[in-house]
Amino acid sequence: MISDLIYKYLSNEATEQEVQRLFEWIEASEENKKYFINAKKTWALASLSKTTTSDAAPVIKIQRKRNFISCFKYAAVFLVFAGLAKLAFDFNEKTKLSKEIVLELGNGQSEYFVENNETQLLNANGDLVAKKFPNQIIYFGKVNDDKIVYNTLKVPYGKRFKLTLSDGTIVNINSGSTLRYPEQFGIKGKRTVYLTGEAFFEVAKDKEHPFIVNANQVDIKVLGTKFNVSAYPENPTVNSTLVEGSIQMFETKNESNAIILKPDQMATWHNNSKTITTKVIDTGFYTAWIQGELAFKDTPFSTIAKIIQRTYDVEIINENSDLARQNFTGTIKISESSVENILELLKRDTPFNYSINKNTIRITNLP
Amino acid sequence: MIIKNDLESIHFESFKKGDQGAFAYFYDCYFKKIQAFSISFIYDKEEAENVTQEAFLHLWENRDTIESINGITSFLYTYTKSKCLNIIRHNKVKDRFKDDILNQKEKELDTEILNSISFDTLEISELEHLINGSISNLPPKTREVFIKKRFEQKKNVEIAEEMQVTLKAVEAHMTKALKLLRNSLSDYLTLILLFIYNN
Repeated sequence: MISDLIYKYLSNEATEQEVQRLFEWIEASEENKKYFINAKKTWALASLSKTTTSDAAPVIKIQRKRNFISCFKYAAVFLVFAGLAKLAFDFNEKTKLSKEIVLELGNGQSEYFVENNETQLLNANGDLVAKKFPNQIIYFGKVNDDKIVYNTLKVPYGKRFKLTLSDGTIVNINSGSTLRYPEQFGIKGKRTVYLTGEAFFEVAKDKEHPFIVNANQVDIKVLGTKFNVSAYPENPTVNSTLVEGSIQMFETKNESNAIILKPDQMATWHNNSKTITTKVIDTGFYTAWIQGELAFKDTPFSTIAKIIQRTYDVEIINENSDLARQNFTGTIKISESSVENILELLKRDTPFNYSINKNTIRITNLP
Repeated sequence: MIIKNDLESIHFESFKKGDQGAFAYFYDCYFKKIQAFSISFIYDKEEAENVTQEAFLHLWENRDTIESINGITSFLYTYTKSKCLNIIRHNKVKDRFKDDILNQKEKELDTEILNSISFDTLEISELEHLINGSISNLPPKTREVFIKKRFEQKKNVEIAEEMQVTLKAVEAHMTKALKLLRNSLSDYLTLILLFIYNN
């Protein structure tokens, strides 16, 4: 078919014979030529697209300085600017020293994710249980239930991490979160993991073995589905947002205190009243972090400040009461924005002063 | 307060004042796009990288003349377009085929296509909007394949392996993507052709 051939040609995968055939077809009529020209134009103009990468979860860094390096590493022509390139950015020094992602194994050993290569993780018997990459770890296999060993993964502020559990379940773990999970799931029983902080689960379907996320004082039980859980210790709530499938949230100590959630709903557990409420939400806002975005919808500054602290590993002290009362709506691409960019942006709406000292940001009233 | 568009305009103001951080922001935003565009006409990744860097160098030197954010896109694409035309005209594109007639025909077609694209400021913002819309409307798998192909310059075999689908499926996604995009751009494409024929 000619459209297949055109595509093959455009993506540079056509053989010389195929190109010959295509060009003959193009010359056969004005109509054909026009068709081809439009196809190639579409191909060329598609480069205007906003999205130029399919990467799902890059690790967050404060980007400003790195942008500079990636910008200059390409070419000598840009050395012209070198004399001017004296951009002080205090955070960067700080992030270098900051904590790394830590994996605590069942035997109490700790592993770090600093090297750039792939390493293998063996269990006590010397069997391969996981492959470890700088931004990801993938587990394999099953064990007898009495042999289950738990690993704990700690993701510090300023970082994110992707984990594939031994049953194929994918977990994106947000900044400042800890997940405890079986190195290999048992052959019988349930699949239980323990979360503090925030994570997005894409649970591998397995009706025989329900998947349970324990967070704070609640359990979230699923058979196979996509959902987000946010259970940061500083919040008196646990939020679970359902993207696909169905889940059940119940109080760990009182299983009859339960609720079943449908897609596009959020269940909230309240520590103080020990109740679970639900509401309809736009899941995009609760899962934007997986794509490396911060999304706000009438979000109070106090909440935004907490999110910025976790995402960029900074501390924010706000002494401006106007700002504290203000709500904001919008989306910020983490990789394209520094903390300074975000503050400058907020400043346009609600004027304030700020000072940065190492990784502490102090926001004050205008003089 | 709505945050989104303001971020770009803050960067734009700083860029105008000669701030390199802001320049780096636009460099990161547009480098891959401009490179992808020029590869479609000069077929060489390194050469396309050189052209793109040159375009950015000129952008920096001419930042005083840029009046809006769209002006940046317009400047970069216009520069790259005429640079590609020059390279083709001076026969500096590497011959890709054994048969020289094919090389010649390809150059003629590419010249005609480049000449038919206009990147003036108004048009480009509409076009950008249209393309963003149509790419985000592609089915997720199709979009992923398309982006890997278009911007990451990956081979079909690599994409098939990464996404764990067959080679045939990758080809099918690409053909589908191109067809859908062509359809959603069809009004725009005919308009331009009319414009050329009238001139």
